[in-house]
Amino acid sequence: MANRSLHRFVGLAIGAILACIAILAVAVFLAAPAKAGPLKQETDAYCLSCHSKQDLSMTLPDGETLSLYVSGDTLNHSVHGQAGIECNACHTNITTYPHPQISFKNRRELSRSYYEACQKCHPDNYTKTLDSMHQKAAAAGNLNAPICTDCHGAHDVQPPAQPRTNVPQTCGKCHTQIEEQYKASVHGKALFNENNPDVPVCTDCHGVHNIHDPRTAQFRVQTPDLCASCHANKELMSKYGLSSDVYSLYQTSWHGVDISVYKANWPTIWHSSAVCTDCHGVHTILKADDPASSVNPQNLLATCQKCHPNAGPNWTAAWTGHNRISLQRTPALFYVDQFYISFTPFILLLCIIYVALQIFHAVVVRIRRSL
Amino acid sequence: MNTPSLTAEQPASKLVRVEKTFKRFTIGQRWEHTLLLISFTTLFLTGVPQKYRNMSWSQSLLSTPERLHTIQQIHHIAALLLIAEALFHLGRALILLFRRKLPGDMLPNWQDVRDAGQMLKYLLFLSKKKPSYGKYNFEQKVTYWFLFFGIGIMMVSGFIIWFPILVTRVLPGGVVPAALMAHSTEATVAAVFVVIWHFFHVHLERLNLSIFTGRLSEEEMRTYHSAEFERLTGQKAEEKPSGGSQ
Repeated sequence: MANRSLHRFVGLAIGAILACIAILAVAVFLAAPAKAGPLKQETDAYCLSCHSKQDLSMTLPDGETLSLYVSGDTLNHSVHGQAGIECNACHTNITTYPHPQISFKNRRELSRSYYEACQKCHPDNYTKTLDSMHQKAAAAGNLNAPICTDCHGAHDVQPPAQPRTNVPQTCGKCHTQIEEQYKASVHGKALFNENNPDVPVCTDCHGVHNIHDPRTAQFRVQTPDLCASCHANKELMSKYGLSSDVYSLYQTSWHGVDISVYKANWPTIWHSSAVCTDCHGVHTILKADDPASSVNPQNLLATCQKCHPNAGPNWTAAWTGHNRISLQRTPALFYVDQFYISFTPFILLLCIIYVALQIFHAVVVRIRRSL
Repeated sequence: MNTPSLTAEQPASKLVRVEKTFKRFTIGQRWEHTLLLISFTTLFLTGVPQKYRNMSWSQSLLSTPERLHTIQQIHHIAALLLIAEALFHLGRALILLFRRKLPGDMLPNWQDVRDAGQMLKYLLFLSKKKPSYGKYNFEQKVTYWFLFFGIGIMMVSGFIIWFPILVTRVLPGGVVPAALMAHSTEATVAAVFVVIWHFFHVHLERLNLSIFTGRLSEEEMRTYHSAEFERLTGQKAEEKPSGGSQ
């Protein structure tokens, strides 16, 4: 009897243990996704159950290895993850496993196909890119021309320009030399060294999604206005002890009038009269008192000679600079100006008074005679 | 020039009005004035759209870069004409000076200052007497010398902005913007002066065509150049009542 009751006890105990194990197992199984992070969408979890494996990859027909790994953390910290946007919002053709067969020969082909999904939610910016220099390059056969994901990232999309240094670094992924030049320029140095919020980054001058070719006549004649959008701003310039008259004085100069005429009438006809960047440089702009600056007095003649090859050393003084007329800087101009605002008007006024008196006298004589 | 200069001694029918004329300008001087008139007008008309080329009316006139180029070419050709005229004028004056034959009629003198004072009194009804002028009155001298120096400024400044690189090989660079300002401003000053001063005196005050015909009538001589008339004829200018007042 005792043997049988012992048997029953052991059976119950084993059952209880098994039940506990079963409950624990279910609990652990149920709890597991919650432990992996706050993935909000069931599909994310579903996709990541495979794609979180770091060595998950496949070989494309061209021989390239395509990593299929997606970091849940990265996804979660992206703007899309935060907004609760699920995988198949972008990967529209994949709804379940097994996936449909992909026919891309290489990774670039795949990217250029998948990025089209961006226009679903971002139609305006997508449409702008169709009018861009990058789109033209792609249409001309350069498949490396950037698409949305090349600049913004794919699974790791972050809010743009935070921090602003990201902008030149992003453009610099392809435009390496220009990034180097920019970093050494007065604008770039202020951005990288002082985290200056006022200096322009690439997109301030070139635009964002509809970036146009900056080598055209149209871009050229608009350059002074582009620079003026900051350099004619009195408040902004006074922060740095810079003159905000540079633009208005340029516009009265020979170069400036030339350019404004071409801008108004013939914007598509190339004109070589100097715009800001011809003298100051484009991405290499330095402070005028920097010995390496193209407009430093020591380098100015060489800069003028780019357009005026026969100019002699006196020539640089023919450029009155972005300065008002002054006795110290431009004595000849000063005296001519004085002559025409004092002596000449005085003489002309005397002439006018004399003629007016003659007319008055003649009228009086005629009236008297008719009385 | 072959207008018969009839004198009082010559018999003439009473039905024929005899008008005695006095030679005022040589054929050379009349041509000089014509060249000056043509070049000055051309320079003014082609210069103004360039001066105001950031204005819309100028831009509709100079509607293509080629037109701008053309107008500059015309301006330069007219400038060469004016320079040739000015060099001829100065050269002739220098030759006459060396031969001691340069007439001093156009040189300013103290009589001009006295004449101006008297004229001012007359215009202000302080005196009834008009000054008695010589060959050139002070108004005409002012015209000549104003344009003499004005054209000098235009020529020098025009040369500087036409050949700035050549000029700055010798002169300091600062002369280029100074010349640009002088050229642009002096042009306006000269144009205003010609319209107000010269046009008034030769078109409105009286129509004086002597620079084209080369001659003045006796009446004009008596009225406007009485001192010169008395010097030439020995007669009193006021013997005959003058027909024209102001």
